[in-house]
Amino acid sequence: MSGWQKVQYNLRVIFMAFEIELRQSFTDAFVLFGIIVQPMIVAFMALWMLKDQVANYAIFVVVGSAMTGLWTTLLFQGGNSITGERWTGTLEPLSCVPAPLRVVVSGKLLATITQSLFSIVCCYAFISLLMGLPLNIAKPWLFAGSVVLTVVAFIAFGLIIGPLFILNPDVQRFQNGLEFVVYIFSGFLFPIALLPMWTTPFSYILTPYWAARALHAASGGTGSDAEIYFCWAMLVVFSLIYAIISKFLFKSILRKAREDATLNMQ
Amino acid sequence: MSAIEVSNLQRDFQTTIGVFKRKKKTVSAVKGISFEIAHGELFGLLGPNGAGKTTSVKMLTTLLIPTGGTARILGFDIVKDAEKVRPRVGFIFGGERGLYWRLNATDNLRYFASLYYIDPAVSKKRIPYLLEMVGLKDRADEKVEGYSRGMRQRLHIARALLHDPEVLFLDEPTMGLDPVGARELRQTVRNLQNEKKTILLTTHYMFEADALCQRIAVINKGEIVAMDTPARIKDTVNDLSVIEIEVFGIPPETFEKIKSLPVVESATVEDRDQRQLLLVHTSKGAEAIPLLVSQLNDLKLGKVTTREPTLEDAYVRLVGGE
Repeated sequence: MSGWQKVQYNLRVIFMAFEIELRQSFTDAFVLFGIIVQPMIVAFMALWMLKDQVANYAIFVVVGSAMTGLWTTLLFQGGNSITGERWTGTLEPLSCVPAPLRVVVSGKLLATITQSLFSIVCCYAFISLLMGLPLNIAKPWLFAGSVVLTVVAFIAFGLIIGPLFILNPDVQRFQNGLEFVVYIFSGFLFPIALLPMWTTPFSYILTPYWAARALHAASGGTGSDAEIYFCWAMLVVFSLIYAIISKFLFKSILRKAREDATLNMQ
Repeated sequence: MSAIEVSNLQRDFQTTIGVFKRKKKTVSAVKGISFEIAHGELFGLLGPNGAGKTTSVKMLTTLLIPTGGTARILGFDIVKDAEKVRPRVGFIFGGERGLYWRLNATDNLRYFASLYYIDPAVSKKRIPYLLEMVGLKDRADEKVEGYSRGMRQRLHIARALLHDPEVLFLDEPTMGLDPVGARELRQTVRNLQNEKKTILLTTHYMFEADALCQRIAVINKGEIVAMDTPARIKDTVNDLSVIEIEVFGIPPETFEKIKSLPVVESATVEDRDQRQLLLVHTSKGAEAIPLLVSQLNDLKLGKVTTREPTLEDAYVRLVGGE
């Protein structure tokens, strides 16, 4: 099989995994809560908290609360993407196919993120129609570009979380805690400048931080074009680093699962 | 070159015991098994629960890494060449897991076809063909969660055959199926054999192995204790007779006493509703009946018969009456 053919087949795998995941998760009430109800609750609270503190605050809240929905579903669905297959007994057949597991998981994560992008639409409708607040995106093209790179960056982040939860189940016990840590360190709903200085490097290595910064700057017009392009560059660099790390993580979890006989859990 | 070559294959598992002072314990599930399977052969691996059948199959399908020994499938090493082995083998494990229950049969197969890098034009023809072959054509658009156990098992077979593998591993495929479903599945296995597939079938149903397999290996406690054709394995118990005694409520100590009698080669008890069937293998034939009955004189007895040994009796002798 030629390299190009392999790329074509892997793209098809991503598309199929995307389709299958979407079909399955749209019947899951937890997922629907995470992408529709939770962002609205967060948006409602944030609107009151930030009313007189942030310029163009309504769009800031839409983007910020949508990011929380995105991160929540990624953390729980992406984090459990491999564990879930193991519990349903499908990890064994998935591990014995020519398509690499990380390609399959990429398709599943793309579906997860697509659902979450739906959060933005829900939040937008909630704030603009029900609450009657004006919502204007200052730099629409840069906003659109930021959304695309955010999707890529979140897939890369998800590719690290899934295998990490398998390699070290102790991390999974802190899943709920991780949800708020990333909200705070990524500046979804308030700037990280409000945090102690020593936490800043931690924010810088998180792709959600660069995604939130780019999206806030492009939607609210609070940042220059140069700043947005810099955020894009950071998103690309860290996504590549995450992708390389995830390749090794996947290789090592599959090897370890074969050694420890943990591909299947009864 | 054989299709499957297994040489001194071993697999140990580490477990921990105790709560506060945890100690590691090594359990040997497979203790150095060796066998070869020719191209197009249907080979049976027989053994009681926990004998090491599934562990062996999982190693051969690259799902488990052996702790010792080697195995080659179509010339490829199961550890070093795992990526070359996988597209060439198909497997099904007994049970209902391993499918996407919220999807229908067609979508399950479409998904796995993409994972096996099957060209969409090919899978478009192959999926309806396989669904027809396993008898699911009329229910193909229904969600798997509404399927019976037998239907799910047949869908597993269709999934395993999607990429038209040369070698198939069927691990207790009829486990839990009703008699009609099991018979249909055995017919499917026969059809696959007619297509010259190399098949390794594990089972603990003797009649199934007898009816389907060209050769059988009996595995017990991780070791192969016999390997031959079903007819030759049956010949190993030609010197024995089987005495069947219907008994009501046999206590364990009485059973142990019977097992220890010098005339008894091996013995088992099968539950039959409110009674039990005591099966005794002996070289003494009907002569042993009075001695056996004398051991059961406090109990209510039913029919007492003698018969010729079967493959199942050979199996019982080989695995020590377990």
